[in-house]
Amino acid sequence: MSGVNTIIIDGLALALPLLIIAIGGIFSERSGIINLALEGLLGFGAFCGALFAYASVTLHWFSPHSMIPLYLSFLVAALGGSLFAVIHGLLCVKFRANQVISGVVINILSVAVTGFLTSQINVSVFGGPSSKFDLMTAPRLTIPLLSRIPVIGAIFTRFYAFEVMILVLLAIFWFILYRTRFGIHLRAAGDNPQALDAAGVGVARVRFTAVLISGALAGIGGMCFAYSILSNFSAAIYMGYGYLAIAALIFGNWKIMPTFAACLLFGLAQSGANQLILWLKMDSSVGDLAMIVPYALTLILLAFFSKHNRAPRALGEIYDKSKR
Amino acid sequence: MSGRDPRWDVGPDALKKISEPGGKCDDPVAPPSQDPPNPAPSAPDDGAVQVQLNWFLRAFGNERWQFITIPLLSILVSLIAISIIVGVMGSNPINVFITFLQGAGWIMKPVYAGGFGMLSDLSNTLAAFTPMLFAALAVTIAFRGGLFNIGISGQMLISGFLASVIVGYSGLSSFVAKPLVLLIGIVTGAAIGALIGFLKYRFNINEVVASIMLNYILQYAVSYFINTRYLDQISRQSRVVSPASTLVLSGIYNSKTHQLMVSNSLPSVLKLGDIQFLVPICFVLAIVLAIALQFFLKKTRLGYEIKAVGANRRGAHYSGIRVKRTILVTMMLSGALAGLAGVSYYLGYFNSIQPDTLTSLGFDSIATALLGAAHPIGNIASSFLITTLDTGGTYMQSMMGVRQEIAQLVTGLILLFSACSAFFRWRIAISRQKAEMRAYEAAEHDVDTDLVASSQGGDAA
Repeated sequence: MSGVNTIIIDGLALALPLLIIAIGGIFSERSGIINLALEGLLGFGAFCGALFAYASVTLHWFSPHSMIPLYLSFLVAALGGSLFAVIHGLLCVKFRANQVISGVVINILSVAVTGFLTSQINVSVFGGPSSKFDLMTAPRLTIPLLSRIPVIGAIFTRFYAFEVMILVLLAIFWFILYRTRFGIHLRAAGDNPQALDAAGVGVARVRFTAVLISGALAGIGGMCFAYSILSNFSAAIYMGYGYLAIAALIFGNWKIMPTFAACLLFGLAQSGANQLILWLKMDSSVGDLAMIVPYALTLILLAFFSKHNRAPRALGEIYDKSKR
Repeated sequence: MSGRDPRWDVGPDALKKISEPGGKCDDPVAPPSQDPPNPAPSAPDDGAVQVQLNWFLRAFGNERWQFITIPLLSILVSLIAISIIVGVMGSNPINVFITFLQGAGWIMKPVYAGGFGMLSDLSNTLAAFTPMLFAALAVTIAFRGGLFNIGISGQMLISGFLASVIVGYSGLSSFVAKPLVLLIGIVTGAAIGALIGFLKYRFNINEVVASIMLNYILQYAVSYFINTRYLDQISRQSRVVSPASTLVLSGIYNSKTHQLMVSNSLPSVLKLGDIQFLVPICFVLAIVLAIALQFFLKKTRLGYEIKAVGANRRGAHYSGIRVKRTILVTMMLSGALAGLAGVSYYLGYFNSIQPDTLTSLGFDSIATALLGAAHPIGNIASSFLITTLDTGGTYMQSMMGVRQEIAQLVTGLILLFSACSAFFRWRIAISRQKAEMRAYEAAEHDVDTDLVASSQGGDAA
């Protein structure tokens, strides 16, 4: 396997989970709710999914080597993420909290709650002191013929099954946001909530739904990281991918396809820098410097591309019917 | 309030009566959907109109004191929530809270290990408090200027790192080293802040993204240098800085002879009755800066401009404020405060830097600042609270057998409820309005009947 292939394979494995989290962020922010809580939501979603997967394996709910827990755990992660997002939705939509504060608080709370519950559940249910749930690594697939194509073939080589799922979700949620009535309502809620209200649609309900969707998508993204990079659930899941997703969606100007490009850039820059160090046979401590590349590259590119960046007009505003 | 203001219907006399405090306080939380307002004003004493505010509204409805009463309400609610959680887990919540305070040194512990005393715990809490307050102030000033500095952790790290490298590993005497460390902290932080501000106004890069990116860049860059040059092979952290450069002094207080001794580092042998403690040099500086910041925001021109830009960027522009310059200055001030937090954390509370991690303090400080209502003086109180929970958590766990994560949970819940403060304020304002409306309607009715009575009397005459 050549180096270019590795760059593409590793790059996609990082970029796609990041993308699904960022799409969640887009849904929330296009409806007018700032979502700094992505980090906490992905953590809590992954916690729920990992708990389910770990319990189903340890307590033998399914036949051994069954793939069902793996697939179901993504569903559970989505549910868990949106469950935690209810807090953000309630705080921002009903309780008129500052959305930035609410997001930061949810991140802090998520680290505390999952850390506490992981240790507690390990002791009281599984009977062993541990601060993590061990998972298997998700299986990788290769499509026989397509993978033979030079360069492009890498896309079809050794990919995780969840990458396909994310691409399907990408198409679905792109369609929802840009081609359905709900999508129009959602975007109106973020740009001109008064107009939406005048059209007879409840702004609060649209925004609340959007926050729930963002929680579900962030949970799925978190589960992907738990299955691929970590192969367990532990506090290490909070390594800042939620913030990175926020950066990606702002880079992508709050639009899905440009955000996809931003995520690809992150992923490929990261894996590319890692490969570069391998090629040049440099010391592993230089790895830290390689890690800088995607972030520095983003910052430089932002300097060129963010002149015309525009946030949704009503982003961060509490919707007040009586205001004009 | 919408519609006409009924105050104008009842005249100044009634207004005076209405504004009088008092009234019975026997009804529970103002019920809006109860029976329609009593037609006859139910006033027991000579028919004066009174707004019947219940105790809750009187305690929390006064807008002048809401900046302190509302956070107190949030804390109270979260303490109740925590008590329930702790109670369900089978511990006595009162004892849990007491052990928190004991661990943080606010209350005497029953037993102390040799060489330690309440003073040791309290001084440790104050040493942890100092960087927290600096960081919270950094968030506050940015927030007031309409900016969000999420990069406190990165600014702290680079300031602490540069101060360690330039001063901490040199042999400078403490009179030169300590001011130099502070200076490096301020300058480095301000430079990073200025960079973020520059990127914002020159290239329209959102400051949240810029500071997140810089967080990562700084984290990895610093880790690289620590791992390759300044690593202590045993602790896997950066080498310990010289005692002369740290911003925390070590003190010994002898409880038998009442002798006090303060120096850069602890003597190797402790005498009987010695109690060791820390002297955080920057503690006073942090408090003074908080007060100065309040004065700056309230009384100076630049402070006013910062607030104006924060409230309405476009309005500030049209009123002649140089918005771009103000954004730059705000981020520089915020960065400088974050730099102070960095040096008082890495060369004070700790004396080395752990590579590959950003301190969570930088993120916690955001919540601390907002718990303090983005008000410099409020930040002092909220920093005390959060650091008390932080430093008291270990002792609480060892005494109560409750997991230490519960300390984080307490912090999280307090912040969660304080995030609802706008909601509390709004609900209280609405209940208050409803209570007042009922009183006004009653008064109006009263005046109407008076008028009818007097006109009838006039006809008869």
